[in-house]
Amino acid sequence: MKKIGFTTSIPVEIIFASGNVPVDLNNIFITSKNPGKYIELAENTGFPRSTCAWIKGIYSAILDKNEIDTIVGVVEGDCSNTKALIEVLELQGIRSIPFSYPISRDYTLLGNEIKKLCSIFKVEAKDIISIKKELDEIRKNLVYLDELTWKEDKASGFENHLWQVSSSDFEGDFKSFREKLKEKINEVEKRSKLKENVRLGYIGVPPINSDIYDFVETIGARVVFNEVQRQFTMAAGINNEDIVEVYRMFTYPYSLSGRLEDIKREIDVRKIDGIIHYTQSFCFRGIEDIVIRKELDVPILTLEGDRPGELDARSKLRIESFVDMITP
Amino acid sequence: MKIVGIDLGSRSVKIVLFEDNKITFNKVLDTALFYREYCKSIDGRINIDFDKLELGGIERIVGTGYGRNNVNIINAKIIVELKAHTLGAMWQTGLKDFILLDIGGQDSKVISVKNCKMIDMILNDKCAASCGRYLENMSTVLGISIDTLEKYYEAPVELSSTCAVFGESELIGRISEGYPLEQLAAGVNYSLFLRIKPMLERFKSETLVMAGGVAGNEALMYFIKNETCFKEVIVVEKSQLNGAIGCCVYGMNS
Repeated sequence: MKKIGFTTSIPVEIIFASGNVPVDLNNIFITSKNPGKYIELAENTGFPRSTCAWIKGIYSAILDKNEIDTIVGVVEGDCSNTKALIEVLELQGIRSIPFSYPISRDYTLLGNEIKKLCSIFKVEAKDIISIKKELDEIRKNLVYLDELTWKEDKASGFENHLWQVSSSDFEGDFKSFREKLKEKINEVEKRSKLKENVRLGYIGVPPINSDIYDFVETIGARVVFNEVQRQFTMAAGINNEDIVEVYRMFTYPYSLSGRLEDIKREIDVRKIDGIIHYTQSFCFRGIEDIVIRKELDVPILTLEGDRPGELDARSKLRIESFVDMITP
Repeated sequence: MKIVGIDLGSRSVKIVLFEDNKITFNKVLDTALFYREYCKSIDGRINIDFDKLELGGIERIVGTGYGRNNVNIINAKIIVELKAHTLGAMWQTGLKDFILLDIGGQDSKVISVKNCKMIDMILNDKCAASCGRYLENMSTVLGISIDTLEKYYEAPVELSSTCAVFGESELIGRISEGYPLEQLAAGVNYSLFLRIKPMLERFKSETLVMAGGVAGNEALMYFIKNETCFKEVIVVEKSQLNGAIGCCVYGMNS
């Protein structure tokens, strides 16, 4: 049993079914004691100043932890920096298995990628189905926690973010995750309803400054929808045994139109007053802002994050002004 | 009612006193001096000595500045900076629908105002090359005052550096190539315009109101009128005091 890292959500069922421990490399970077140090280390190695902090953080986290010698690098559907990352990792003796979400969402192409992973990790379809059944039970609870956020108004934006984003690897131990989630749900259910003046949706990649959630709650707002984190839960594929179809329904790696359809529906259902569109500095997804602004009918704040740590004064100024602007 | 509006900027503090919807006092002080001479820190909050400022009988204090968390004045209502600037521009122009362009020393903002309400905004406070600091540095390189610099707009030399610091080297290069001062100055103004242009392009409107330290830049106004959709460009009368005025307006209406 060994740790298998990955650069963004992949069919985690395959890793669990192979008897290994999946590790979402973004999570180990961002929850480390000193994520800023990881950025510095990568820049000293030669990663340009003007590239995404997540890639730099992932690189340093892998080398620092020294417990991961194999990773799955998603080279299509997330970020093309990953292509270069895996080549740099090869220099360090880290085995990198490329995985692609085809932009066409073609069933056969995605199916081939999944078959390739199954073959490498020596996993059969029946093993995947069996593991998926267990993960789906946890995913149902994640959907419930999400409802506790937007429907029952009891869970905070940060809780909604953290539990959903952690479902990419279920913290490497889904049984333990399952129990911890049940306890959290019990705790949240007992609360009285939260009241806020402004209901926000957060779209785009998860924030590099996760105190954004608590910050908006100090100024009368609350995030009731986390687009990509919710996508990581594969909620749309619960009870579906066709693993290829499940990962085709995952909106994040494919076109913007699929994401926008999801976002528009949730804005409506969750009665969202405004959207924070978060992009990482130097990320191509900043360009998508042009389309997003045209397509969504609610006020949008485009927020660009760079280094890990607490929200800086620039970001706070923007968020405060935006919330002030849309407060009825 | 005597209302004091305070705009705590990074370089200067602007103070305005309103009585019966009129400005009866205003003062601009260097920020460091203001903190040293007129403020005391009490439990992490700022206590301002209004008597020393010769401002007595204040009934209401409204403040703003860079980031609400940095403006912690005792007995004051703090409002978001963008709101202060919007209210100031509305009061100074009497307009209800306009786009506000505020270029300060270290940041620039564009705010869309419809029916007296702020409905959208875009800020740049990462790039010094689209702010007043850029003009200050470049006018120093040219050996002229900013007042002189801002008059020139014809046949601008190309200055393409992304960075304000490297822009200085590029300007020196242009000087060595023998370009006349007028074209060099025009080039500086035009390069500033090109950096704020994408922010302006986002908002389609007829009327642009300019405030902030760079508001009176004639060259900038020329480029805006000729290269954007804005037909009318109005500069508020008291551009530097705009934020502090907006604070007073807020204090009056709340």
